[in-house]
Amino acid sequence: MGQIEFHQVTKRFDNGQEGLKELSASFETGSMTFLTGHSGAGKSTFLKLLLCLDRPTRGQILVNGVNVTQISGRRLPHYRQNLGAVFQDHHLLANRSVFENVALPLRVTGYRERDVARRVRAALTRVGLLSKEGLFPRYLSTGEQQRVGIARAVVTRPKILLADEPTGNLDPELSRDIMGLFEQFQQIGTTVVVASHDRDLIESMGMRIIELANGSMVSDQPGSAGAGRPAPAGDDEDADGAD
Amino acid sequence: MARTKAARDPWPRQRPGFLALCRDHARILRETGHFVAEKLGTSLLVWVLVGIALALPAGLFLLQQNLAAMTGAWEGRPGLTVYFEVGADPGAVAALAKTLESRDTVSRVTVISEAEALAEFQRFTGLADALDLLDDNPLPASLRAVLEAGADAADLDALAAVAGAADRVAEVVVEKTWLERVTDITRVVTRVGVMLAGLFGLGAVLITATSVRLAIEARLEEVRVLKLVGATDAQIRRPFLYFGLVYGLGGGLVAAMLISIALLVIEAPLAQLLGSYGQQLALAGFDLVFLGALFASAALLGVVGALMAVRQRLAGLEIL
Repeated sequence: MGQIEFHQVTKRFDNGQEGLKELSASFETGSMTFLTGHSGAGKSTFLKLLLCLDRPTRGQILVNGVNVTQISGRRLPHYRQNLGAVFQDHHLLANRSVFENVALPLRVTGYRERDVARRVRAALTRVGLLSKEGLFPRYLSTGEQQRVGIARAVVTRPKILLADEPTGNLDPELSRDIMGLFEQFQQIGTTVVVASHDRDLIESMGMRIIELANGSMVSDQPGSAGAGRPAPAGDDEDADGAD
Repeated sequence: MARTKAARDPWPRQRPGFLALCRDHARILRETGHFVAEKLGTSLLVWVLVGIALALPAGLFLLQQNLAAMTGAWEGRPGLTVYFEVGADPGAVAALAKTLESRDTVSRVTVISEAEALAEFQRFTGLADALDLLDDNPLPASLRAVLEAGADAADLDALAAVAGAADRVAEVVVEKTWLERVTDITRVVTRVGVMLAGLFGLGAVLITATSVRLAIEARLEEVRVLKLVGATDAQIRRPFLYFGLVYGLGGGLVAAMLISIALLVIEAPLAQLLGSYGQQLALAGFDLVFLGALFASAALLGVVGALMAVRQRLAGLEIL
C-alpha cells in the first residue's frame, strides 16, 4: 500500500469543468514523483485535493491509510501540519523576516523558542540562506524567496512534501538547484510530489513522471536510479520540540 | 484485525501544553501591540469612537446613580418640617417628636426649640443687634423628621397627617414635590440610559467589528498561510480577538477619560446648584467598581465585535 493513494478521483468544478477524471495513482513512502502536463491538465487540482484545500467530487484519497477526503474540519489542521507545501508564488509574508516566515509552522505547533530557532536555522542552512535570516522577503531574489518557501515547508520535517510549479519563475540553473533540494529531502525519506511543466528539467532528474492531460493520466513513467527508494527504517528524527 | 488507535489516526491532535499556550498568547499579544502601534492613527480613531459610544451610557449611568443617591442621601432624603405656634409648649413639641420618632418610616427627628432657632438665626444672618431690640423671640419652635431610605410619598403623606393633627402645630411643610421630581427624573434618566446603552453598545460592537474586519483584510495572506501550515481555527481567530480586546479596552480608557473631563467641567456649576439646595457636592459612583465594570463591558463588546468580524470573514475562506 502506498503512502498516498488516489482511487478513481474525480473533481468537477462548479462551472462543469473537470479538473481530474477518475484518476488513480499510488505513491510509495520515500518516493519522488513529478506530475507534468500542460496548464489545466490537473496538476494543481491534484495537489489541492491532497492538501484538502478542496474536496473531490468522487473517489478516495488515502494518506497513511486514512481517507482524507472525509477528514473533519477539526482534524484538518493536524493533517496539514504533517504536510509541507511549496508554491510557485511562494506565499511569504512581506511584513516578517525570513526567520519568522520559516518559523510560522513551528509556532503553530507550539514549539519552544529554543527549538524554533534551532530548527529554523537548520532548515535555512539546508537551503543555503542562513545568512539572510534577518532580511525581509522583498530584499531576496526570486530564487531565494522560493528557497525560503521550501525551508518553511520542510521546517517541521514533514513526511510528505508537495510542490506546485516551484521553479515556475526561475531560470534553468536555479530551477535545477531547487529540484536538487527536493531530491535531498527525498533521500532522507520524505515522500515528494512535484508538479512541473518543465519537461526537460524533470526528465533529467531520473525520477518517476506522471503525465496528466485533461484531468486523466496519460503516462506513468517509472524513475531510473534512485527513484522510489524506500524510506530508511526508524524515522524518528523529530523527537524534540513540541510540548 | 486489531488496529491501535495510533494506526487509525496518523495525525493525532496534539493538545498544546499550558506553557505552549501561554507562549502563544504572549507572542500574539506582542504582535497585536506592534500592529496597533503601526496603525496608531487608525487605532486611536477606533478608541475615540468606541470611547464616545461607551462614555454616553456610562455617563448617564453615573448621573442616574447620583440622582438615586441624592434621594437616598441624608440631606436630600425627603421629610417634613413642622412649625409650631410661637410660644408653643415645649412639652407638645417633645410629644410630637416622640410620636414621629416611633414610626418605622422615620429615620430621625431633629427638634429646634425657639431659643435654638433664635441662636441659629443670629449666627447665620448677623442680625443679632436687630433681634435684641425685640422683647420676645418671634421665632417658632420646629422639628424636622427625615424619612428612612426607601420610604415613599405615601409614607410622607401619612406622616404629614399625623403631624398636622397634633397640638399647637402651625404649619407642616412636606418636601414631597422635591422627592417626586427627583424620582421621576431618575426614572427617565434610567430608561434613556438603558436605551442609549443598548444603542451605543451596539455601535461600539459594530465599530470594533469593522475595524477588526479591516485588520483581517490586511492580514488575509497571513491567514491563508497559517491555514496552509495547519493552524487551527482557534489559532487563526486568536490575534483578531485580541484586536477586539485592545480596541474595546482602549475605548474604555477613552470613555473613562471623557467622563472624568465631563465631571471636572460640570463640577463647579453643579456644586453651585446643589449649594442652593443646601447640599454638599458629593459625586458618587465614579469609583473602582464603576471603572472595573466600564472596562469589563468595553472588553466584552470589543471581543464580541471581533467575533462577529471573524465569523463573517473567515468562515469558508478560500485558502488558495
